[in-house]
Amino acid sequence: MGRIVVTGIGMITAIGNSVEENRASLKAGRSGISTIKQFATRYANMPSGEVSTSTAALQEQLKVDSPGVTRTSLLALHAMQEAIADAGLTAAELANTETALVGATTVGGICLTDELYRDTHGQSKGTEYLGSYDYASVSLFLQSHYSIKGIVNTINTACSSSANAIIYGARLIKNGFAKRAIVGGADALAKFTLNGFNALRILSDEPCRPFDENRKGLNLGEGAGFLVLEREEDVQDKHVYCALSGYGNASDAYHPSSLSSDGEGPYKAMQQALETAGLNPADIDFINTHGTATENNDEAESRAMIRIFGNPPAFASTKTYTGHTLGAANAVETIYGILSLKHQEVYPSLNFEAPIPQLGLKPVENYHKASVRHVMSSSFGFGGNCATVIVSKI
Amino acid sequence: MGCISPQQTFEPVDLEALHPVKDNKLNAVEPSYKTIPANQLRRMSKSVRMSIGAMSPFITGLKFDGVIIGTANAGMEESGKFLDQLVEYDEDTLSPGNFVLSTSNAIAAQISLMFGNTGYNNTHVAKGHAFENAILDAAMLLAENPGSVFILGGVDEIASNNYLLDKQSGWFKSGIADDHDFYEANSPGTIPGEGATLFTVSNLPAGALAQVKAVQMINTDSREELAESVQQFIDRMPAKPNLLLSGENGNSDTLPYIDVVERIMGADVAIARFKHMSGEYPTASAFALWMAVKLLSGEAELPSHAIKSGTVNAADLNDIVIYNLHKGVQHSLIWVSKV
Repeated sequence: MGRIVVTGIGMITAIGNSVEENRASLKAGRSGISTIKQFATRYANMPSGEVSTSTAALQEQLKVDSPGVTRTSLLALHAMQEAIADAGLTAAELANTETALVGATTVGGICLTDELYRDTHGQSKGTEYLGSYDYASVSLFLQSHYSIKGIVNTINTACSSSANAIIYGARLIKNGFAKRAIVGGADALAKFTLNGFNALRILSDEPCRPFDENRKGLNLGEGAGFLVLEREEDVQDKHVYCALSGYGNASDAYHPSSLSSDGEGPYKAMQQALETAGLNPADIDFINTHGTATENNDEAESRAMIRIFGNPPAFASTKTYTGHTLGAANAVETIYGILSLKHQEVYPSLNFEAPIPQLGLKPVENYHKASVRHVMSSSFGFGGNCATVIVSKI
Repeated sequence: MGCISPQQTFEPVDLEALHPVKDNKLNAVEPSYKTIPANQLRRMSKSVRMSIGAMSPFITGLKFDGVIIGTANAGMEESGKFLDQLVEYDEDTLSPGNFVLSTSNAIAAQISLMFGNTGYNNTHVAKGHAFENAILDAAMLLAENPGSVFILGGVDEIASNNYLLDKQSGWFKSGIADDHDFYEANSPGTIPGEGATLFTVSNLPAGALAQVKAVQMINTDSREELAESVQQFIDRMPAKPNLLLSGENGNSDTLPYIDVVERIMGADVAIARFKHMSGEYPTASAFALWMAVKLLSGEAELPSHAIKSGTVNAADLNDIVIYNLHKGVQHSLIWVSKV
């Protein structure tokens, strides 16, 4: 069994409605973090990475006129459409039992917080979204839209969801259960998550500052990212971005909503990814960190990086551009890693001034060209779920 | 393996005594959880509590390398409580406890936390295919890590919000006169259930209760496509199974799919049903797997109330095929055999 390669990528985030638009923003150091405009909330002034396109506009652009399609599903469709066009997948290939779809989301249809309340408290005859609140609804919508006949799955492990979706899709191919897999995740901004993270007191009222000694929490974001994974031997003349060369998953097993201070789960996930890729720590040229800018994550992640790398390679948190896109995070961030490989460049982490004392790690502060062969992308979620993916230049 | 369900599926297991539908629901019958400290118990969601409880038959001396859970609704009750707070207090100073417990992966996380397990951890939420994807994930892990042991589970609860949403969408029966009506009422809708079923799985036959030989997921609303997939599945087996364990659930709207599967199996295959015991929920196939393993390992006999047609001679029982169906579009086939 040869390598698993990436033949298509697609995305929509606060910094662009396509892969190219996202890249332009990253190069220019242009963050998409601002106030919330798409829905009414007490916390509209909390800096967040909102996709600038309204739900109505998305529906129109994507020509979706069936009822009950949530913003999460529309974002997912937008990104998936770009990815499969990029990979040149035909309708026949999509409708094949050997094409798998593995999605991820942490909010699903609960982005419609008020509608959900009304539908469950007898305040309406039942909105059009009755069947769309669950996590599986996004993937099932995509499956139905493209008549996908292979394995369809959705993973929810909180913030690491799309990393696990990418890994599951790759393993389906490796173990012969699929020939190709469309993998990724989507999440829309929601009153539900805004209030949840705020109640945990880890939401910052300023643009987030990952790895900075004065960081005070995360900014939420929304978006979707999808990748098309195929077997190298099937690719023929198709353009190939890179190989999905390694992956790791581990449980931190410390606390329901915070990581152990020495980052045991992150350490194990990164270690396993290096092992499966057959790489040494010194081979990694860039890390797209989880880097949420919470006091806990950045410290734990830094310690884990120091344990593995001694002197970590160049790293950044692109959550400074997009916010924390939850279920879409690793998919979006791995795509940024793929752009680094394609264009041989690294993107800076914004809002950084001074490193965490005692740890002293500094992220990349300026965009520049670089020799990039292997990029590591990590995501760590509630419940201590840790997952890491490595993409490599072919 | 262990199972907490609407029936007497924890020690002492008694499948013959059927707990009936009450208020058009099959709520889980829970044990007293003597082994879980009261302060821990209080802080657990129902899904987590039932899952830990379902582990009690194998918890002593348990060693495992990772946890894979399939669930659609776990955490939804907590989600609902947080939502209520949010709306009723107009987003003002909420307490985060319910929010943290509302994540789907709370079960897998809690298990790994309780045992200090830092191995593989994943949660599949593909609704009617959540447990099937979990089985596949475990199967791949065992191929990739021979000699390992993983915890595999299928868990769902009747969370109030989910129940109300499904009820409004017309998925449930509004009333059945007596239990004879579960399958005979000839009306649309089914009866919701809940449960937590946990297994330890490995690729070592020694000491195993049964073997899962194949899992097939089918996404379709077409009877023709279903027939084709089922035929292909059966054709790959060396012989027809002794028993079809069917996910028929009393919903007259989805009966045509059951008919397709029964027709392909043929009259010489005995048919039994399980949803009058488990109720309908997205990961009910986990209950079916538990039941199939109980039968194949000789630990239990098929209760008379479960038999639809044909006879099952326990001594000859070698292969069982589970056919499950959820909301008319997610179908699955699981082939389980004697070790």
